[in-house]
Amino acid sequence: MSTKQEVIHSISETTMDIMIPVASQKQLAFEDFTDGIKKWRIWLLLAYQDIKLRYRRSILGPFWITMSMAITVYSMGYLYGHLFHIPIQEYFPYLIAGMLGWSLLSTTVTELVDTFSLSQVMLKQIKLPYSLYVHRITAKNMIIFFHNLLVMIPLIFFQTNIKMDWHLLLLLPGLLFIYVNAICYGIVLAMIGARYRDIPQIIKSFITVIFFVTPIMWKLDILPPDKQLIVLLNPFYSFIELLRGPLIGYTPHVLNFIIVSAITCIGMVLCYVLFSAHRARIIYWL
Amino acid sequence: MAQIDLRSVYIEFPIYDVSKRSLKKDFLRIATGGNVAQDVNSHVIVSALKNINLSFKQGNRVGLIGHNGSGKSTLLRLLAKIYEPTQGQINISGHISPMLDIALGIELEFTGYENIYIHGTLLGLTKKQINNQLHTIAELSGLGDYLAMPVRTYSSGMKVRLAFAIATSIQPDILLIDEVFGAGDAEFMQRARQKMISLLKQSNIVIMATHSDELIKEFCDQALLLESGEVKYFGPVDTALEIYHKKSE
Repeated sequence: MSTKQEVIHSISETTMDIMIPVASQKQLAFEDFTDGIKKWRIWLLLAYQDIKLRYRRSILGPFWITMSMAITVYSMGYLYGHLFHIPIQEYFPYLIAGMLGWSLLSTTVTELVDTFSLSQVMLKQIKLPYSLYVHRITAKNMIIFFHNLLVMIPLIFFQTNIKMDWHLLLLLPGLLFIYVNAICYGIVLAMIGARYRDIPQIIKSFITVIFFVTPIMWKLDILPPDKQLIVLLNPFYSFIELLRGPLIGYTPHVLNFIIVSAITCIGMVLCYVLFSAHRARIIYWL
Repeated sequence: MAQIDLRSVYIEFPIYDVSKRSLKKDFLRIATGGNVAQDVNSHVIVSALKNINLSFKQGNRVGLIGHNGSGKSTLLRLLAKIYEPTQGQINISGHISPMLDIALGIELEFTGYENIYIHGTLLGLTKKQINNQLHTIAELSGLGDYLAMPVRTYSSGMKVRLAFAIATSIQPDILLIDEVFGAGDAEFMQRARQKMISLLKQSNIVIMATHSDELIKEFCDQALLLESGEVKYFGPVDTALEIYHKKSE
Protein backbone atom coordinates (compact mmCIF):
# COMPACT_ATOMS: atom_id res chain seq x y z
CA MET A 1 0.00 0.00 0.00
CA SER A 2 2.66 2.42 1.05
CA THR A 3 4.83 1.62 -1.98
CA LYS A 4 1.91 2.34 -4.24
CA GLN A 5 1.50 5.73 -2.65
CA GLU A 6 5.16 6.40 -3.13
CA VAL A 7 4.89 5.59 -6.80
CA ILE A 8 2.02 7.96 -7.20
CA HIS A 9 3.95 10.56 -5.32
CA SER A 10 7.03 10.19 -7.49
CA ILE A 11 4.95 10.47 -10.65
CA SER A 12 3.47 13.72 -9.48
CA GLU A 13 6.94 14.91 -8.57
CA THR A 14 8.25 14.35 -12.06
CA THR A 15 5.59 16.50 -13.60
CA MET A 16 6.38 19.37 -11.26
CA ASP A 17 10.04 19.12 -10.49
CA ILE A 18 13.29 18.78 -12.30
CA MET A 19 14.73 15.37 -13.03
CA ILE A 20 18.28 16.50 -12.32
CA PRO A 21 19.89 14.82 -9.29
CA VAL A 22 19.55 16.60 -5.96
CA ALA A 23 23.28 17.19 -5.59
CA SER A 24 23.46 19.25 -8.73
CA GLN A 25 20.53 21.40 -7.60
CA LYS A 26 22.46 22.21 -4.43
CA GLN A 27 25.48 23.04 -6.48
CA LEU A 28 23.45 25.30 -8.77
CA ALA A 29 22.01 27.10 -5.76
CA PHE A 30 25.48 27.61 -4.36
CA GLU A 31 26.72 28.88 -7.70
CA ASP A 32 23.84 31.33 -7.74
CA PHE A 33 25.09 32.71 -4.40
CA THR A 34 28.68 33.07 -5.44
CA ASP A 35 27.74 34.45 -8.85
CA GLY A 36 25.55 37.00 -7.14
CA ILE A 37 28.50 38.23 -5.12
CA LYS A 38 30.85 38.19 -8.11
CA LYS A 39 28.45 40.31 -10.14
CA TRP A 40 28.54 43.16 -7.58
CA ARG A 41 29.03 45.64 -10.38
CA ILE A 42 25.56 44.89 -11.70
CA TRP A 43 23.58 45.04 -8.48
CA LEU A 44 25.40 48.06 -7.17
CA LEU A 45 24.68 49.88 -10.41
CA LEU A 46 21.03 48.81 -10.39
CA ALA A 47 20.66 49.80 -6.74
CA TYR A 48 22.19 53.18 -7.43
CA GLN A 49 20.01 53.53 -10.52
CA ASP A 50 16.86 52.78 -8.51
CA ILE A 51 17.64 55.62 -6.13
CA LYS A 52 18.68 58.02 -8.85
CA LEU A 53 15.60 57.26 -10.87
CA ARG A 54 13.24 58.10 -8.05
CA TYR A 55 14.66 61.55 -7.55
CA ARG A 56 15.64 62.49 -11.06
CA ARG A 57 14.71 66.08 -11.94
CA SER A 58 14.21 67.02 -8.30
CA ILE A 59 16.53 69.64 -6.89
CA LEU A 60 17.46 67.89 -3.65
CA GLY A 61 17.77 64.55 -5.43
CA PRO A 62 18.33 61.57 -3.15
CA PHE A 63 18.52 63.98 -0.21
CA TRP A 64 14.76 64.04 -0.28
CA ILE A 65 15.07 60.74 1.55
CA THR A 66 17.00 62.51 4.29
CA MET A 67 14.59 65.44 4.31
CA SER A 68 11.44 63.38 4.75
CA MET A 69 13.15 61.29 7.39
CA ALA A 70 14.23 64.43 9.26
CA ILE A 71 10.73 65.89 9.18
CA THR A 72 9.24 62.65 10.49
CA VAL A 73 11.66 62.04 13.34
CA TYR A 74 11.96 65.58 14.62
CA SER A 75 8.24 66.24 14.69
CA MET A 76 7.60 62.83 16.24
CA GLY A 77 10.43 63.30 18.72
CA TYR A 78 9.15 66.65 19.92
CA LEU A 79 5.61 65.42 20.43
CA TYR A 80 6.27 61.99 21.91
CA GLY A 81 9.04 63.27 24.16
CA HIS A 82 6.40 65.36 25.91
CA LEU A 83 3.89 62.54 25.76
CA PHE A 84 6.20 60.10 27.52
CA HIS A 85 7.65 62.78 29.83
CA ILE A 86 11.20 62.07 28.72
CA PRO A 87 13.59 65.06 28.42
CA ILE A 88 14.00 66.00 24.76
CA GLN A 89 17.81 65.78 25.08
CA GLU A 90 17.46 62.15 25.96
CA TYR A 91 14.51 61.23 23.78
CA PHE A 92 15.62 62.72 20.46
CA PRO A 93 18.77 60.61 20.07
CA TYR A 94 16.97 57.46 21.20
CA LEU A 95 14.03 57.89 18.85
CA ILE A 96 16.06 59.06 15.87
CA ALA A 97 18.61 56.26 16.05
CA GLY A 98 15.80 53.77 16.53
CA MET A 99 13.85 55.16 13.59
CA LEU A 100 16.92 55.01 11.35
CA GLY A 101 17.32 51.34 12.19
CA TRP A 102 13.62 50.68 11.82
CA SER A 103 13.29 52.34 8.42
CA LEU A 104 16.23 50.26 7.17
CA LEU A 105 14.70 47.03 8.45
CA SER A 106 11.10 47.66 7.50
CA THR A 107 11.68 48.92 3.96
CA THR A 108 14.18 46.13 3.33
CA VAL A 109 11.71 43.47 4.45
CA THR A 110 8.70 44.89 2.59
CA GLU A 111 10.68 45.41 -0.60
CA LEU A 112 12.41 42.03 -0.46
CA VAL A 113 9.10 40.16 -0.52
CA ASP A 114 8.35 41.68 -3.92
CA THR A 115 11.86 41.25 -5.31
CA PHE A 116 11.16 38.51 -7.84
CA SER A 117 7.64 39.52 -8.77
CA LEU A 118 8.73 43.08 -9.52
CA SER A 119 11.86 42.00 -11.42
CA GLN A 120 10.04 39.51 -13.60
CA VAL A 121 10.61 41.43 -16.83
CA MET A 122 14.35 41.26 -16.32
CA LEU A 123 14.28 37.73 -14.97
CA LYS A 124 12.59 36.55 -18.16
CA GLN A 125 14.95 38.31 -20.53
CA ILE A 126 18.42 37.72 -19.17
CA LYS A 127 20.05 35.00 -17.15
CA LEU A 128 21.40 36.54 -13.97
CA PRO A 129 21.69 34.93 -10.54
CA TYR A 130 18.52 35.21 -8.47
CA SER A 131 20.57 36.37 -5.49
CA LEU A 132 21.66 39.36 -7.55
CA TYR A 133 18.16 40.85 -7.36
CA VAL A 134 18.16 40.44 -3.58
CA HIS A 135 21.53 42.16 -3.37
CA ARG A 136 20.10 44.98 -5.46
CA ILE A 137 17.26 45.68 -3.03
CA THR A 138 19.45 45.29 0.05
CA ALA A 139 22.22 47.49 -1.31
CA LYS A 140 19.68 50.14 -2.26
CA ASN A 141 18.30 50.24 1.27
CA MET A 142 21.80 50.35 2.73
CA ILE A 143 22.62 53.37 0.57
CA ILE A 144 19.40 55.03 1.72
CA PHE A 145 20.37 54.27 5.33
CA PHE A 146 23.62 56.15 4.88
CA HIS A 147 21.72 59.09 3.41
CA ASN A 148 19.47 59.02 6.44
CA LEU A 149 22.39 59.09 8.86
CA LEU A 150 22.69 62.81 8.10
CA VAL A 151 19.54 63.27 10.15
CA MET A 152 21.73 62.71 13.21
CA ILE A 153 23.86 65.79 12.58
CA PRO A 154 21.57 68.41 14.22
CA LEU A 155 21.67 66.31 17.40
CA ILE A 156 25.29 67.32 17.95
CA PHE A 157 24.24 70.97 18.23
CA PHE A 158 21.20 70.23 20.37
CA GLN A 159 23.20 69.55 23.54
CA THR A 160 21.87 66.06 23.63
CA ASN A 161 23.79 63.41 25.50
CA ILE A 162 24.76 61.73 22.24
CA LYS A 163 28.33 60.51 21.99
CA MET A 164 29.88 60.21 18.59
CA ASP A 165 32.84 58.06 19.56
CA TRP A 166 34.43 54.67 18.98
CA HIS A 167 31.03 53.07 19.45
CA LEU A 168 30.29 54.10 15.86
CA LEU A 169 32.69 51.37 14.77
CA LEU A 170 30.23 48.85 16.17
CA LEU A 171 27.85 49.96 13.44
CA LEU A 172 29.87 47.86 11.00
CA PRO A 173 29.18 44.43 12.52
CA GLY A 174 25.56 45.48 12.97
CA LEU A 175 25.19 46.43 9.32
CA LEU A 176 27.05 43.31 8.25
CA PHE A 177 24.64 41.14 10.23
CA ILE A 178 21.69 42.95 8.68
CA TYR A 179 23.15 42.55 5.20
CA VAL A 180 23.74 38.82 5.56
CA ASN A 181 20.26 38.33 7.03
CA ALA A 182 18.70 40.44 4.31
CA ILE A 183 20.26 38.19 1.67
CA CYS A 184 19.32 34.91 3.36
CA TYR A 185 15.82 35.80 4.46
CA GLY A 186 15.42 37.96 1.36
CA ILE A 187 15.80 34.98 -0.94
CA VAL A 188 13.31 33.01 1.13
CA LEU A 189 10.82 35.88 1.32
CA ALA A 190 11.16 36.73 -2.35
CA MET A 191 10.51 33.09 -3.27
CA ILE A 192 7.45 32.88 -1.05
CA GLY A 193 6.28 36.25 -2.32
CA ALA A 194 6.60 35.11 -5.93
CA ARG A 195 4.75 31.85 -5.35
CA TYR A 196 1.99 33.04 -3.01
CA ARG A 197 0.93 36.54 -3.90
CA ASP A 198 -1.00 37.06 -0.68
CA ILE A 199 2.10 36.79 1.48
CA PRO A 200 3.56 40.21 0.55
CA GLN A 201 0.27 41.83 1.58
CA ILE A 202 0.25 39.96 4.89
CA ILE A 203 3.85 40.90 5.63
CA LYS A 204 3.24 44.52 4.76
CA SER A 205 0.35 44.75 7.18
CA PHE A 206 2.27 42.94 9.91
CA ILE A 207 5.24 45.24 9.65
CA THR A 208 3.13 48.16 10.91
CA VAL A 209 2.20 46.12 13.95
CA ILE A 210 5.82 45.23 14.61
CA PHE A 211 6.68 48.92 14.67
CA PHE A 212 4.39 49.46 17.62
CA VAL A 213 5.41 46.36 19.57
CA THR A 214 9.14 47.03 19.20
CA PRO A 215 10.82 49.58 21.48
CA ILE A 216 11.41 52.36 18.98
CA MET A 217 9.10 55.11 20.13
CA TRP A 218 9.07 53.83 23.70
CA LYS A 219 11.80 52.51 25.93
CA LEU A 220 12.12 48.96 27.13
CA ASP A 221 12.38 49.95 30.80
CA ILE A 222 8.87 51.46 30.96
CA LEU A 223 7.59 47.91 30.54
CA PRO A 224 7.12 45.85 33.74
CA PRO A 225 10.11 43.45 34.13
CA ASP A 226 8.01 40.32 33.68
CA LYS A 227 6.73 41.60 30.31
CA GLN A 228 10.18 42.55 29.01
CA LEU A 229 10.80 38.99 27.88
CA ILE A 230 8.19 39.41 25.14
CA VAL A 231 10.26 42.21 23.68
CA LEU A 232 13.50 40.25 23.93
CA LEU A 233 11.93 37.49 21.87
CA ASN A 234 11.18 40.00 19.11
CA PRO A 235 14.10 39.67 16.69
CA PHE A 236 13.54 43.17 15.33
CA TYR A 237 14.42 44.57 18.75
CA SER A 238 17.87 42.95 18.71
CA PHE A 239 18.57 44.11 15.18
CA ILE A 240 17.58 47.67 16.04
CA GLU A 241 19.69 47.61 19.20
CA LEU A 242 22.68 46.62 17.08
CA LEU A 243 22.32 49.90 15.18
CA ARG A 244 20.89 52.17 17.87
CA GLY A 245 23.62 51.48 20.42
CA PRO A 246 26.55 52.44 18.20
CA LEU A 247 24.71 55.49 16.86
CA ILE A 248 24.05 57.10 20.22
CA GLY A 249 27.10 55.82 22.04
CA TYR A 250 26.55 52.62 23.98
CA THR A 251 27.47 48.99 23.40
CA PRO A 252 24.51 46.75 22.63
CA HIS A 253 23.92 43.96 25.12
CA VAL A 254 25.69 40.65 24.46
CA LEU A 255 22.29 39.00 24.40
CA ASN A 256 21.37 41.02 21.32
CA PHE A 257 24.44 39.74 19.52
CA ILE A 258 23.64 36.18 20.51
CA ILE A 259 20.04 36.43 19.33
CA VAL A 260 21.09 38.00 16.04
CA SER A 261 23.77 35.36 15.48
CA ALA A 262 21.27 32.60 16.12
CA ILE A 263 18.79 34.16 13.70
CA THR A 264 21.54 34.50 11.11
CA CYS A 265 22.42 30.81 11.38
CA ILE A 266 18.79 29.76 11.04
CA GLY A 267 18.43 32.08 8.06
CA MET A 268 21.44 30.64 6.29
CA VAL A 269 20.24 27.07 6.70
CA LEU A 270 16.66 27.92 5.77
CA CYS A 271 17.78 29.83 2.72
CA TYR A 272 20.12 27.09 1.57
CA VAL A 273 17.52 24.35 1.95
CA LEU A 274 14.63 26.22 0.36
CA PHE A 275 16.69 27.84 -2.35
CA SER A 276 18.32 24.62 -3.51
CA ALA A 277 14.95 22.88 -3.51
CA HIS A 278 12.98 25.49 -5.41
CA ARG A 279 15.44 27.72 -7.26
CA ALA A 280 14.69 26.18 -10.65
CA ARG A 281 10.96 26.73 -10.18
CA ILE A 282 11.07 30.43 -9.36
CA ILE A 283 10.88 31.52 -12.97
CA TYR A 284 7.74 29.45 -13.50
CA TRP A 285 6.00 31.22 -10.66
CA LEU A 286 6.29 34.64 -12.24
CA MET B 1 33.40 24.11 -29.79
CA ALA B 2 29.93 25.42 -29.31
CA GLN B 3 27.27 22.78 -29.08
CA ILE B 4 23.75 22.44 -27.74
CA ASP B 5 21.99 19.17 -26.96
CA LEU B 6 18.44 18.77 -25.79
CA ARG B 7 17.17 15.39 -24.69
CA SER B 8 13.42 14.89 -24.29
CA VAL B 9 12.98 18.33 -22.82
CA TYR B 10 9.61 19.42 -21.50
CA ILE B 11 8.60 22.83 -20.26
CA GLU B 12 5.35 23.08 -18.37
CA PHE B 13 3.98 26.24 -16.89
CA PRO B 14 1.71 26.03 -13.90
CA ILE B 15 -0.94 28.70 -14.18
CA TYR B 16 -1.93 29.69 -10.69
CA ASP B 17 -4.70 32.13 -11.31
CA VAL B 18 -6.94 29.81 -13.34
CA SER B 19 -8.61 28.09 -10.47
CA LYS B 20 -10.90 25.53 -12.04
CA ARG B 21 -11.77 23.82 -15.25
CA SER B 22 -13.70 26.53 -16.86
CA LEU B 23 -14.79 28.10 -20.05
CA LYS B 24 -11.47 29.89 -20.09
CA LYS B 25 -9.69 26.59 -20.09
CA ASP B 26 -11.82 25.15 -22.84
CA PHE B 27 -11.11 28.24 -24.82
CA LEU B 28 -7.39 27.81 -24.21
CA ARG B 29 -7.58 24.26 -25.47
CA ILE B 30 -9.13 25.37 -28.72
CA ALA B 31 -6.77 28.29 -29.15
CA THR B 32 -3.53 26.46 -28.44
CA GLY B 33 -4.34 23.07 -29.84
CA GLY B 34 -4.78 21.04 -26.69
CA ASN B 35 -1.77 21.97 -24.59
CA VAL B 36 -3.61 22.65 -21.44
CA ALA B 37 -3.75 20.01 -18.75
CA GLN B 38 -4.09 19.93 -15.00
CA ASP B 39 -1.58 18.80 -12.40
CA VAL B 40 -2.14 16.94 -9.14
CA ASN B 41 -2.74 20.10 -7.19
CA SER B 42 -5.38 20.97 -9.77
CA HIS B 43 -3.31 23.80 -11.14
CA VAL B 44 -3.80 24.32 -14.81
CA ILE B 45 -0.63 23.43 -16.68
CA VAL B 46 0.36 24.69 -20.07
CA SER B 47 2.91 22.57 -21.88
CA ALA B 48 4.98 25.08 -23.75
CA LEU B 49 7.49 22.54 -25.04
CA LYS B 50 6.93 18.82 -25.37
CA ASN B 51 9.54 16.15 -25.83
CA ILE B 52 12.13 18.22 -27.63
CA ASN B 53 15.15 16.30 -28.91
CA LEU B 54 17.58 18.49 -30.78
CA SER B 55 21.25 19.06 -31.41
CA PHE B 56 22.81 22.23 -32.69
CA LYS B 57 26.44 22.11 -33.73
CA GLN B 58 29.18 24.55 -34.53
CA GLY B 59 28.31 26.57 -37.63
CA ASN B 60 24.56 25.95 -37.53
CA ARG B 61 22.34 28.86 -38.52
CA VAL B 62 18.87 27.87 -37.45
CA GLY B 63 15.68 29.75 -38.17
CA LEU B 64 12.80 29.14 -35.76
CA ILE B 65 9.37 29.23 -37.35
CA GLY B 66 5.90 28.55 -36.09
CA HIS B 67 2.66 30.28 -35.22
CA ASN B 68 2.20 32.53 -32.25
CA GLY B 69 2.29 30.43 -29.12
CA SER B 70 4.06 27.53 -30.80
CA GLY B 71 6.93 27.80 -28.31
CA LYS B 72 9.56 29.78 -30.20
CA SER B 73 10.25 32.29 -27.45
CA THR B 74 10.08 29.61 -24.78
CA LEU B 75 12.66 27.54 -26.65
CA LEU B 76 14.94 30.58 -26.91
CA ARG B 77 14.54 31.28 -23.20
CA LEU B 78 15.29 27.67 -22.46
CA LEU B 79 18.49 27.94 -24.45
CA ALA B 80 19.29 31.21 -22.68
CA LYS B 81 19.07 29.23 -19.42
CA ILE B 82 16.24 31.38 -18.15
CA TYR B 83 13.86 28.43 -17.96
CA GLU B 84 15.18 25.17 -16.68
CA PRO B 85 13.47 22.14 -18.19
CA THR B 86 10.71 20.61 -16.09
CA GLN B 87 11.76 17.25 -17.53
CA GLY B 88 14.63 16.12 -19.67
CA GLN B 89 18.12 17.40 -19.99
CA ILE B 90 19.85 20.23 -21.70
CA ASN B 91 23.54 20.53 -22.34
CA ILE B 92 25.12 23.69 -23.59
CA SER B 93 28.81 24.19 -24.20
CA GLY B 94 29.74 27.69 -25.21
CA HIS B 95 28.77 31.16 -24.11
CA ILE B 96 25.19 32.22 -24.73
CA SER B 97 24.51 35.70 -26.05
CA PRO B 98 20.78 36.27 -25.89
CA MET B 99 19.16 39.07 -27.86
CA LEU B 100 15.65 38.33 -26.76
CA ASP B 101 14.43 41.78 -25.96
CA ILE B 102 16.65 44.49 -27.30
CA ALA B 103 14.97 47.09 -25.13
CA LEU B 104 16.19 45.29 -21.99
CA GLY B 105 17.33 47.75 -19.38
CA ILE B 106 16.57 50.80 -21.50
CA GLU B 107 15.50 53.34 -18.93
CA LEU B 108 13.56 56.32 -20.25
CA GLU B 109 14.72 58.84 -17.68
CA PHE B 110 18.40 58.18 -18.35
CA THR B 111 20.45 59.53 -21.20
CA GLY B 112 21.60 57.44 -24.13
CA TYR B 113 25.13 57.28 -22.72
CA GLU B 114 23.91 56.15 -19.30
CA ASN B 115 21.84 53.45 -20.95
CA ILE B 116 24.89 52.21 -22.80
CA TYR B 117 26.71 51.86 -19.47
CA ILE B 118 23.78 50.11 -17.81
CA HIS B 119 23.34 47.57 -20.57
CA GLY B 120 27.08 46.99 -20.80
CA THR B 121 27.23 46.31 -17.08
CA LEU B 122 24.30 43.91 -17.33
CA LEU B 123 26.24 41.97 -19.93
CA GLY B 124 29.11 41.75 -17.47
CA LEU B 125 31.45 44.35 -18.93
CA THR B 126 33.63 46.66 -16.85
CA LYS B 127 33.55 50.41 -17.25
CA LYS B 128 36.77 50.29 -19.22
CA GLN B 129 35.46 47.72 -21.66
CA ILE B 130 32.34 49.80 -22.18
CA ASN B 131 34.40 52.92 -22.81
CA ASN B 132 36.27 51.05 -25.51
CA GLN B 133 33.01 50.24 -27.27
CA LEU B 134 31.30 53.54 -26.66
CA HIS B 135 32.45 55.07 -29.92
CA THR B 136 31.29 52.13 -32.05
CA ILE B 137 27.90 52.06 -30.37
CA ALA B 138 27.45 55.81 -30.74
CA GLU B 139 28.38 55.61 -34.40
CA LEU B 140 26.08 52.71 -35.18
CA SER B 141 23.14 54.37 -33.49
CA GLY B 142 23.78 57.55 -35.46
CA LEU B 143 22.18 59.56 -32.68
CA GLY B 144 25.02 62.05 -32.24
CA ASP B 145 24.33 64.67 -29.60
CA TYR B 146 21.02 63.07 -28.72
CA LEU B 147 22.97 60.46 -26.75
CA ALA B 148 23.46 63.03 -24.01
CA MET B 149 19.69 63.55 -23.77
CA PRO B 150 17.22 61.47 -21.74
CA VAL B 151 15.78 58.62 -23.78
CA ARG B 152 12.23 59.82 -23.10
CA THR B 153 12.89 62.68 -25.53
CA TYR B 154 13.61 60.21 -28.34
CA SER B 155 11.21 59.29 -31.09
CA SER B 156 10.27 55.61 -31.22
CA GLY B 157 12.57 55.07 -34.19
CA MET B 158 15.46 56.62 -32.28
CA LYS B 159 14.78 54.36 -29.32
CA VAL B 160 15.00 51.33 -31.56
CA ARG B 161 18.28 52.60 -32.99
CA LEU B 162 19.78 53.05 -29.56
CA ALA B 163 18.52 49.70 -28.34
CA PHE B 164 19.77 47.95 -31.44
CA ALA B 165 23.20 49.59 -31.28
CA ILE B 166 23.56 48.63 -27.62
CA ALA B 167 22.25 45.10 -28.01
CA THR B 168 24.49 44.29 -30.94
CA SER B 169 27.66 45.50 -29.24
CA ILE B 170 28.61 41.98 -28.28
CA GLN B 171 31.02 39.30 -29.44
CA PRO B 172 28.62 36.39 -29.64
CA ASP B 173 29.44 32.73 -29.40
CA ILE B 174 25.95 31.23 -29.42
CA LEU B 175 23.59 33.94 -30.58
CA LEU B 176 19.87 33.76 -29.79
CA ILE B 177 17.68 36.26 -31.59
CA ASP B 178 13.99 36.90 -31.07
CA GLU B 179 12.49 39.16 -33.75
CA VAL B 180 15.14 41.82 -33.49
CA PHE B 181 14.65 43.49 -36.81
CA GLY B 182 12.48 46.43 -35.92
CA ALA B 183 11.59 49.81 -37.25
CA GLY B 184 13.99 52.49 -38.33
CA ASP B 185 14.46 54.61 -41.39
CA ALA B 186 15.91 53.22 -44.61
CA GLU B 187 19.40 54.50 -43.97
CA PHE B 188 19.53 52.96 -40.51
CA MET B 189 18.06 49.67 -41.73
CA GLN B 190 20.95 49.41 -44.15
CA ARG B 191 23.49 49.83 -41.36
CA ALA B 192 21.56 47.56 -39.02
CA ARG B 193 21.56 44.90 -41.69
CA GLN B 194 25.30 45.07 -42.12
CA LYS B 195 25.80 44.93 -38.38
CA MET B 196 23.53 41.90 -38.11
CA ILE B 197 25.35 40.12 -40.94
CA SER B 198 28.68 40.68 -39.25
CA LEU B 199 27.25 39.46 -35.93
CA LEU B 200 25.85 36.36 -37.59
CA LYS B 201 29.20 35.68 -39.22
CA GLN B 202 31.05 35.99 -35.91
CA SER B 203 28.75 33.63 -34.07
CA ASN B 204 29.41 29.93 -33.85
CA ILE B 205 25.75 29.02 -33.55
CA VAL B 206 22.81 31.23 -34.43
CA ILE B 207 19.22 30.49 -33.48
CA MET B 208 16.81 33.08 -34.76
CA ALA B 209 13.07 33.30 -34.31
CA THR B 210 11.30 35.35 -36.93
CA HIS B 211 8.12 35.54 -38.95
CA SER B 212 9.96 36.79 -42.01
CA ASP B 213 10.58 34.15 -44.69
CA GLU B 214 13.11 36.38 -46.42
CA LEU B 215 15.29 36.66 -43.33
CA ILE B 216 15.29 32.92 -42.82
CA LYS B 217 16.08 32.22 -46.45
CA GLU B 218 18.87 34.74 -46.40
CA PHE B 219 20.54 34.00 -43.08
CA CYS B 220 19.75 30.44 -42.12
CA ASP B 221 20.84 27.09 -43.46
CA GLN B 222 18.36 25.13 -41.38
CA ALA B 223 14.89 25.74 -40.10
CA LEU B 224 13.06 24.37 -37.10
CA LEU B 225 9.29 24.31 -37.35
CA LEU B 226 7.50 24.25 -34.02
CA GLU B 227 3.85 23.45 -33.60
CA SER B 228 2.07 23.45 -30.23
CA GLY B 229 5.38 23.05 -28.47
CA GLU B 230 6.54 20.11 -30.53
CA VAL B 231 9.12 19.84 -33.25
CA LYS B 232 7.18 19.45 -36.47
CA TYR B 233 10.15 19.57 -38.80
CA PHE B 234 13.86 20.25 -38.55
CA GLY B 235 15.89 20.42 -41.73
CA PRO B 236 16.47 22.45 -44.88
CA VAL B 237 14.89 25.88 -44.93
CA ASP B 238 12.81 25.48 -48.09
CA THR B 239 11.11 22.27 -47.00
CA ALA B 240 10.37 23.71 -43.57
CA LEU B 241 8.79 26.83 -45.00
CA GLU B 242 6.78 24.73 -47.43
CA ILE B 243 5.34 22.61 -44.62
CA TYR B 244 4.70 25.71 -42.56
CA HIS B 245 2.75 27.46 -45.30
CA LYS B 246 0.88 24.37 -46.39
CA LYS B 247 -0.33 24.07 -42.82
CA SER B 248 -1.61 27.62 -42.66
CA GLU B 249 -3.62 27.37 -45.88
